[in-house]
Amino acid sequence: MLLDRSFNVKTDDLTATIVDEETLRSIERFIFKEARLLDSWKFWEWDKLFTDDGMYWVPQKHNQVNPFDHISLFWENRMLRETRIRRVENARNWSQQPQTQTAHLVGNVCIEGLDADDFLVVSASFQATEWRLDQRQLAGRYTYKLIGNKVDGWKIKLKRVDLVNCNDVFANLEVFV
Amino acid sequence: MIPTNEQISDLIREDSVHKSVYTDPVLFQLEMERIYGHAWIYVGHESQVKNPGDYHTTRIGDQDVVMVRAPNGQVNVHYNRCPHKGAKLVADGDGNVGKFFRCPYHAWTFKLDGSHLSAPLKSGFEGTCYDPKHPDFSMVSVARVDSYRGFVFASQASYGEDLKTFLGGVVTSIDNMCDRSPVGELEVAGGIFRVQQRSNWKVFYENLHDTMHARVTHESSVDAAREEAEAIGEMPFELLIMDGNGEPYDFWEKLELRAYHNGHGYMEAIFDPGAAERDEVSRAHFECLSEAYGADRARDIMGMNRHNTVIYGSGSPHTVFMQFRVIRPVSVDKTMVEIQTFRCKGAPDVVFDRALTYANVINSPSSNVMPDDVEVYARCQEGNMTRGGSWISMHRYVGTDKVLEDGAVSTNGTSELPMRNQFAAWKKFMTGTIIAKESNNVA
Repeated sequence: MLLDRSFNVKTDDLTATIVDEETLRSIERFIFKEARLLDSWKFWEWDKLFTDDGMYWVPQKHNQVNPFDHISLFWENRMLRETRIRRVENARNWSQQPQTQTAHLVGNVCIEGLDADDFLVVSASFQATEWRLDQRQLAGRYTYKLIGNKVDGWKIKLKRVDLVNCNDVFANLEVFV
Repeated sequence: MIPTNEQISDLIREDSVHKSVYTDPVLFQLEMERIYGHAWIYVGHESQVKNPGDYHTTRIGDQDVVMVRAPNGQVNVHYNRCPHKGAKLVADGDGNVGKFFRCPYHAWTFKLDGSHLSAPLKSGFEGTCYDPKHPDFSMVSVARVDSYRGFVFASQASYGEDLKTFLGGVVTSIDNMCDRSPVGELEVAGGIFRVQQRSNWKVFYENLHDTMHARVTHESSVDAAREEAEAIGEMPFELLIMDGNGEPYDFWEKLELRAYHNGHGYMEAIFDPGAAERDEVSRAHFECLSEAYGADRARDIMGMNRHNTVIYGSGSPHTVFMQFRVIRPVSVDKTMVEIQTFRCKGAPDVVFDRALTYANVINSPSSNVMPDDVEVYARCQEGNMTRGGSWISMHRYVGTDKVLEDGAVSTNGTSELPMRNQFAAWKKFMTGTIIAKESNNVA
């Protein structure tokens, strides 16, 4: 079952930490590259940015505490991310004709601190323009739990996407935000 | 121009319907009056207003209403309108108003039964016909409110069948859902998704029992789930529930489609005696129900293996995975679906975990399954705006349905009986035959 309560989703009560300029730059480059992969439909490559047990989470509620007792717009492990990629790449994906196009703008990258398991928590605000038949604007804040360093690179343990309109009425969300 | 009853009747044939029933804004407006203005429509669940003052807003057709729990425990449903200037008394959503409604515009207040409580600076009303006891100065309540095992319905007509008679045989689906709790009670829990469809509301109802579309429309998600299962060497629950649409035609042919008066029905899979012991979650659930009801009864409850149930005008409960997709018409070509998830009180936590997972995977706006449905509904909506033909076929197995006293049952699970049954009800409501008969009875 996906509702594995041992997965630590907490991104508050962090231990303060300071990273050097180069580390900060490497994190920013990592996040920008992540957005670039999404915009260019390189979803398999994007998925590899996650650790094997990494999770992609889009809460349905403002300040949602966890994905275990409340619905989520997305709560996906590698299996479900891969299933989504396989579906949008399928030739008979009627709802992807024409396919969704996106342009992400990511900024305000902040180092938030270290979580209880020593993952580095980083946040960034984003605007994503999405087009398929109609254009819509998605916006909000990304919160990442990262592991790695400026030399070997970074992996995502958790990507949390807090949409400003998370509890709104939605047309379908077919690709990753 | 409002069409005559004869013109409306001509739109519905035994085996086909005229496309204007999906595209004509005049007919949509008439539906709001003649169907949603009369039928019993699901408002919400009692658990959404647990304490006095708790409210939940929603829409009955094109009407904004507020469901509120009164101090005496009664659940009331009022139009969300202040009788002074017409302002909506509460913002859309859920909350608690305290002991009374208070209008944010001029502070007129109303008891939770809707009756007038006070208005500021009463001296200004002296010598006028202002009368706090006159209904003109109170909130208007929806004509009839009733609930069945916690599910609150309202009818905007003061006459007509009672709720239980209106629901007919589909009450057994609500019963089965509730019986899956060892204390027979459910609660809405874990939040509500709201998803927009670019199509007329009736298209979704028809699709719910359309077994011929599953493997065609959902090919992309079936393929994706199967490829992923192959890659990882197992098919866990999350993939299994996507894989199901890929069953071959002979699987669907064996199902039974049950139709009841007023457009209701359900899709009955063959009783599944193994359902109680299939997996860990089901076994834990079965044990819990056995303790409450005895093993035989528990096996009956869990073996009742219904796919979608249709409560026409309200939406579709899924009794096994504890969901209610509530269907709200927005305009002739837009529909909003509220997806409620239920917790079975007293059942093991994993039963709710499974319901939540089902909601996330199947009913979220991010579902891999739903977008292809929403897309083909929209294509029907757009295709029907062309001059390329005027009639919509529902010929499959016409004339073979077994007619019963309270409805009909298909002889083949790919029959279009459910659509024919829905449009028979539609015609009765829209031509006023149900309405006229009942208002005469009352008179």
